[in-house]
Amino acid sequence: MNNVLILNGAGLADLAPYKDGHGVTLTLSGIKTECESMCRQLGLVLDFRQTDDPDEMFRWISKDSEAFGGVIINPVGHSRAAIQVFDLYHSAIQKLASLKKPIIEVHLGNVYRQGDDVTGPLLKPVREMGFICGLGKYSYLLALQAIARKLNPGAHAGPA
Amino acid sequence: MTQRIYIINGPNLNLLGRREPGIYGSDTLEDIELRCREAGAAADLDIEFRQSNHEGQIVDWIQEAIDDADAIVINAAAYTHTSVAIHDALLAYPGYVVELHISNPHLRESFRHVSYVSTAADAVVAGLGTVGYELIIPIVKSLLADQAVASS
Repeated sequence: MNNVLILNGAGLADLAPYKDGHGVTLTLSGIKTECESMCRQLGLVLDFRQTDDPDEMFRWISKDSEAFGGVIINPVGHSRAAIQVFDLYHSAIQKLASLKKPIIEVHLGNVYRQGDDVTGPLLKPVREMGFICGLGKYSYLLALQAIARKLNPGAHAGPA
Repeated sequence: MTQRIYIINGPNLNLLGRREPGIYGSDTLEDIELRCREAGAAADLDIEFRQSNHEGQIVDWIQEAIDDADAIVINAAAYTHTSVAIHDALLAYPGYVVELHISNPHLRESFRHVSYVSTAADAVVAGLGTVGYELIIPIVKSLLADQAVASS
């Protein structure tokens, strides 16, 4: 399956407060456009979604994602969420990981630098999951390239 | 002028391919270095690829990078979870810092949950396997180019 599902969680429709570190404001539609172009180069088919509704997010992770070769999730606050919310996320991801699909969690900013207790554990659901944060839009583009390598391990030709 | 990246590897990574291949894969560090050099050549970047088992040596290399490198990619391995000295050295480094791990270290033993490197890095990449090294190189090139545009 050469198709990839990208799921964006609550609040990501409006990236107005987010700057990429160089003062450039990102938009989710701008990131989507770059992901589409990267997928064309990599021979992947992309389904790019966003929701503010956690139930819909869990449905996408636990049901819809089964039809895809790889999944990229920006869960926003789940890495530091209340434990019940994290448990739901955890079990949905665990089910996905058991299908041996490449899954990568991505964040635009460096989540380790956010919040007061930066030495506390950052919750991540399963060991098999990749994790990328702090690269801005490149967090998504790197995740797509990593998934392309997993789906076609022989292909070394990356995008120009 | 060709931009330069230091790729700094911490303790036990010289045993890669021989140590717990179930977690870290069968590639050796030499295999990774070779692929990094290919990726560097393709992106027109100088690659300085190093490994040490000694914390102070890694601190020295980060300090050396202050005047010599445009970006650092660091896999501090076990020092990630213990080294305040590496944290401080990275904070003194003005360029771009990417923390890289082959596996997803935070999901193993609880003593790996704390990372001193992550709070001093701009970005963290983990759990992509050894392919993470070669894929991050053109991304760093793009980030440096974006930075140059933003500051011009």
